[in-house]
Amino acid sequence: MVVLRDGMCPGLSEELVVALRAADITTGTWTNFAFQALLAIRRVLLAQHTAFPVSGADLYEDLLSSTAILSTGNPSLDKLLDSGLYTGELTELAGGPGSGKTQVCFGVAVNISYQLKQSVIYVDSTGGLSASRLLQMLQAKSCNIEEQMEALQRIQVFPVFDIFSLLGCLHHFRCVGLQQASAGGGSVKAVIVDSVSAVISPILGGKQNEGMSMMMQVAGLLKTIAKDFNVAVLVTNTVTRDGNGQLKAGMGQTWSHVPRIRILLQRLERPGSTCSSVRTATLAKSSRQPCHLKEEFDLQCWGRSEEQLYGMSGKRKLENTEPS
Amino acid sequence: MQRDVSSYAIAPSVKVKLLNAGFLSAADLCDLRPLQLSKEACISQEEAVEVLQAVRCEPGQERAAAGRLTALELLGREQELGTIVTFCSALDMALGGGMPVGKTTEVCGAPGVGKTQLCIQLSVDVQIPACFGGLGGKSLYIDTEGSFLVQRAVDLAQAAVEHCGLLAEDSEQQEALKGFTVETILSNLFLVRCHDYVELLAETYLLADFLAQHPGVRLVVIDSIAFSFRHDFEDLSQRTRLLNGLAQRLIQMATNHNVAVILTNQMTTKIWSGQSKLVPALGESWGHAATQRLILHWDGTHRLASLYKSPSQREATVPYQITGQGFRDAPPSDQPKTSDDPSVRQSGSLSKRPRTEEDQSTRT
Repeated sequence: MVVLRDGMCPGLSEELVVALRAADITTGTWTNFAFQALLAIRRVLLAQHTAFPVSGADLYEDLLSSTAILSTGNPSLDKLLDSGLYTGELTELAGGPGSGKTQVCFGVAVNISYQLKQSVIYVDSTGGLSASRLLQMLQAKSCNIEEQMEALQRIQVFPVFDIFSLLGCLHHFRCVGLQQASAGGGSVKAVIVDSVSAVISPILGGKQNEGMSMMMQVAGLLKTIAKDFNVAVLVTNTVTRDGNGQLKAGMGQTWSHVPRIRILLQRLERPGSTCSSVRTATLAKSSRQPCHLKEEFDLQCWGRSEEQLYGMSGKRKLENTEPS
Repeated sequence: MQRDVSSYAIAPSVKVKLLNAGFLSAADLCDLRPLQLSKEACISQEEAVEVLQAVRCEPGQERAAAGRLTALELLGREQELGTIVTFCSALDMALGGGMPVGKTTEVCGAPGVGKTQLCIQLSVDVQIPACFGGLGGKSLYIDTEGSFLVQRAVDLAQAAVEHCGLLAEDSEQQEALKGFTVETILSNLFLVRCHDYVELLAETYLLADFLAQHPGVRLVVIDSIAFSFRHDFEDLSQRTRLLNGLAQRLIQMATNHNVAVILTNQMTTKIWSGQSKLVPALGESWGHAATQRLILHWDGTHRLASLYKSPSQREATVPYQITGQGFRDAPPSDQPKTSDDPSVRQSGSLSKRPRTEEDQSTRT
C-alpha cells in the first residue's frame, strides 16, 4: 500500500485526495466511492508496479548476450567456479580467520582491473583492504608504472563499518547506478563486499528483532544490483561448526539460501610446514557443478608473474596443471 | 527509487508506528512537517523530528558515497600514515615496517610471553620524533588487568631516549631530542583503568570524543580485551555480539582518526578430535575481528612471534627477546635449533610449554 498523493496517476486529482482523506483513507485500498475513478486508478497503479512475464527463449537470448564470465586469475578457483564469476549472480566465499578470503577478493579485483580493464567496486567493512598488497600483485603482472596506477584507479573503495552505512551505500548504488558511483574508467563489472558478516553479526540474535530483516534487505539489494547492472557480486562470510563438527557458512539458515555459489576456504594442516600459503577450496553450493569438489591453490599465485607460476617445478603446481 | 523506512537508523518502536500509519518508504515522508508526521503516526514531536532528520530527502546515501576513494588514493594515504616500530628488527620486517596505523592488530599469547611488554614498548615507540623515523604521536593505554607498571615504562622510555641520542646526527635531530625525554614520554601516555566489560564498552563509546579532542594520539592499546569478557559471562551469544560490535567500532575509529589499535588476547585450550591445541580465546568469530593477528609463543626457552593473519604480509615466524631495555631482537647465537633435533618441539605446535624454575628467574 502506498500513501496517496496528488499526481500519482492520471485519475488521482487533488480534490479526490482531499475527499478520500476526509473519509479517513490515506492509503490505497478498496472502497465503493466513485467506483469508476477508482477502477481507473487501480488499473494504472497495477500497470506501473507489476512484473511482466518473459518467455524462456527471450530470457535465454538475453542471458547469452549480457552475461560475462570473469576469471579470478587463479586456474584452480576458475575450475571450481566453472571458469569464473558469472555476472548477474551472487557468489560467497566462506572461511575461518586467515583462510584467505580477503586475498582471493584482492586477486579477483586486480585481475578484473588489470587483465580485463574494467572497474571494480570494493565495499570494505573490516578495514582489511591494503592498497600496498594490491600494488604488489599488480607489480607482479606488469612493470609499467602507468598501467599499475591506472589499474589501481579502476578499483573504487567504499569503507562502511555498520549495517546502516552498508544499506545506505547499496541504496546509493541502486539509485544513481554503478557508473556514476564509481566514476572510474571502464564499466563496473564486479562488486565485492568484504565482509557481510562483520556488519550483520552484531545485530543478529538476542532480543533484537530487526537483525533478520536487515540481513534480508542487504540480500535483496545485492541480488537486485547483480541483476539490474549485470555485475558479479562477491561476498565473504565467516564459518561455524554444526553439530557434527562440519564446517558451514555463518549467519544462519536464512542467509545460506541467498548466494548462488558458495566456496569454503580452509587452511591445510600439514605437519612440519607452518607458514604455508596453500589453501583448499571446497564447492559447497553451486547450480552448475556437482558439489564437494575440492581444489588446492596457493595464495601467492596472484603475487607471482606468469613465468614464475608455470615454470615452478613444485609437485603441487604440476598436479594442478595436469590435464584432466 | 524509494528506500524502505525500515532500513534507516530509527528506533524500532517508532518504525512500527510509521509502518502502521502507512509510511513505507522515504519518499512518503519527504514533504511532511514534524507536526503533521507526529499527528499521522501518533509519535511525539521529538521523535518526528529525529525521523525526518534520518530520512532527509537529499539522500543520506551521499554520506556513504562521500567516504569513497580509489585504490590509488588509498595507497597514498597508507604510505603517509606510516608504521610504529617495535625495536625488534626481525618482527618489524615481518610486519612490513612495524605495526600499521589505521588498522587493528591483535596480539595473542600465553601468560608471560611478553604481550604487555610489547604494548608498553609500542606506547613509547609511537612517540619517537618524526625525524628519527617515528610518528611523534601520543598514545592511549586502556588497562583491564592492572598489569601496566610505570617503573617499567620509565625503563623503556630511558632506553628509547638513549637509543635516539646515539643516532642523532644533524641539528634537526638534536633539536627534536630536547623534546623527547622520559618526562615528555610519560606525559604523552594516557592511561585508563577499566575494571569490567561494561566500563570497557563505555570507554570505547567515549573514545571517538577523546580522539577528536586529542588529535595527536596515534596509538590505542587495549590490554587485554579477553580478561573482562572471559569470566562472569553466562550468555555466550551475547558476548559474541558485543565483541563483534566492539570490533566494528574500533576499526571505524582506526580508519576515521588514523590511529593504530592494538588488542591483547589470551589463549585457551581447544580439545578437538582427541588432540588439544592452544588457540586464541574469545571464540572463532573473534578471529575475524582484527585486521592482523600476531601470536606470541614459546619454543623451548625461546620466544617466537608468528604472524598468523595479515592482508598484506606473508606469514612468518620470528624470534624475539625481552631485555632490561624492552622488546628486542633475539641474539643470533640463541636461535632455536632446527626441526630435526628431536628434543625440540616443532615451532608450529602451540602446545603448552612446561614452566621450569629457570624461566621464572629469567622473566623480566
